[in-house]
Amino acid sequence: MTILSEEDIAIAGEYVLGLLDAAGEATVNARIATDAVFAAEVEAWRQRLAPMLTGDADAPAHIWGNIQNALPRPTGQDVGSGKLLFWRSLTGISVSAAAILGILLLQKPDAVAPTTPEIPLIAALGSETGAASLTASYEAGTGRMIVTPVSLDTGELYPELWIIPADGTPHSLGIVASNKATSMTVPLEARQYMGTGGTLAITPEPQTGGPGGKPTGPVLASGKITTL
Amino acid sequence: MAADSASSDLDSARRARLAEALMRTGRGDRSAFEAVYKATSAKLFGVCLRIFPDRNEAEEALQDAYLTIWNKAASFETGRASPISWLVAVTRNRAIDRLRARGKAGMTSLDEAAEIADPAPLADAQLLASGEDHMLHGCIDGLERRDAHFIRSAFIGGATYADLAEREGEPLGTVKSRIRRALIKLRGCMEGAS
Repeated sequence: MTILSEEDIAIAGEYVLGLLDAAGEATVNARIATDAVFAAEVEAWRQRLAPMLTGDADAPAHIWGNIQNALPRPTGQDVGSGKLLFWRSLTGISVSAAAILGILLLQKPDAVAPTTPEIPLIAALGSETGAASLTASYEAGTGRMIVTPVSLDTGELYPELWIIPADGTPHSLGIVASNKATSMTVPLEARQYMGTGGTLAITPEPQTGGPGGKPTGPVLASGKITTL
Repeated sequence: MAADSASSDLDSARRARLAEALMRTGRGDRSAFEAVYKATSAKLFGVCLRIFPDRNEAEEALQDAYLTIWNKAASFETGRASPISWLVAVTRNRAIDRLRARGKAGMTSLDEAAEIADPAPLADAQLLASGEDHMLHGCIDGLERRDAHFIRSAFIGGATYADLAEREGEPLGTVKSRIRRALIKLRGCMEGAS
């Protein structure tokens, strides 16, 4: 059983107060997932400080309608197994061409226009709610891919990137950063799937990736691979 | 007392129902999400109003918070956190993100700091007993005033150590260790009093 030091206790308090930087927060998130005693201290801080935030107030009636309207449209059955949910959330996601172009124009030229004459493949990953969006650019010749989050929040989990070719089987491309660009080399065995028509998707997973190399979380963002 | 144990049974039943609804929300169940909303919207609107005193902004923050809850519900782990404190944390963090994005984060005014000593009226759905309210307020009163003010500014105003260091004209490291000591003292007071 872990005995918490005063420093641990202070860090848990700073975490709840929102005082840690991104690196500190990521460290605490990882520790919460693995250390039950520390997780309990974080929970205790939340409860200790909660009275500062409380004071019930009835929300106006139209709020619930607005929330419902902003949810992704359900396609087919509402509830299902994790796998069904995974597919359900892949369909019905659309990212407008304008959004793709808008995001690409913001990217650094060297991210999308390599010095080689090769035309990169790109994907804009989005969700209907707009809660998560990323861009990816990929050079087939070198296998180099740059994944840039525009907005991505996986809470206490980690964003895992998947390539899903036409046959529908997800293949992991690894965990990416949620707050900065990730430059990666796509593994040789996965490059065969990195063509137009394939779909890139992000799910929240444990730090070591979805167990058994399979996605377990809901799809937060997805998008088709295309040419510029 | 019999009445106390009956009310704590009620609380734990309510908490178990909320945890179940939140987990079903994580699997994409909209009716469970609606149950979560009905059980918690008054509390979470209260959180948004603390952070955004402007009602329109608070309403936007509340909608945004529930969409975040819908998207993140799958990451809720019942063994690691109570559902209500998880929901409050998601709402608070999302609202502070909005505050920062608008460049409005920072130290709250000292007048607002005085509100710490002014416990909010208790409603039926409020899960924290009034005793805990008073305990926090009493223990915060035991801190140095500037430390208490900063703790509130961080939690409700999104203030950072850099904001405090600038205000106090002190090095970041000094400010950090002072707040860490204040946190240890606050915890000691609250644990000792319970």
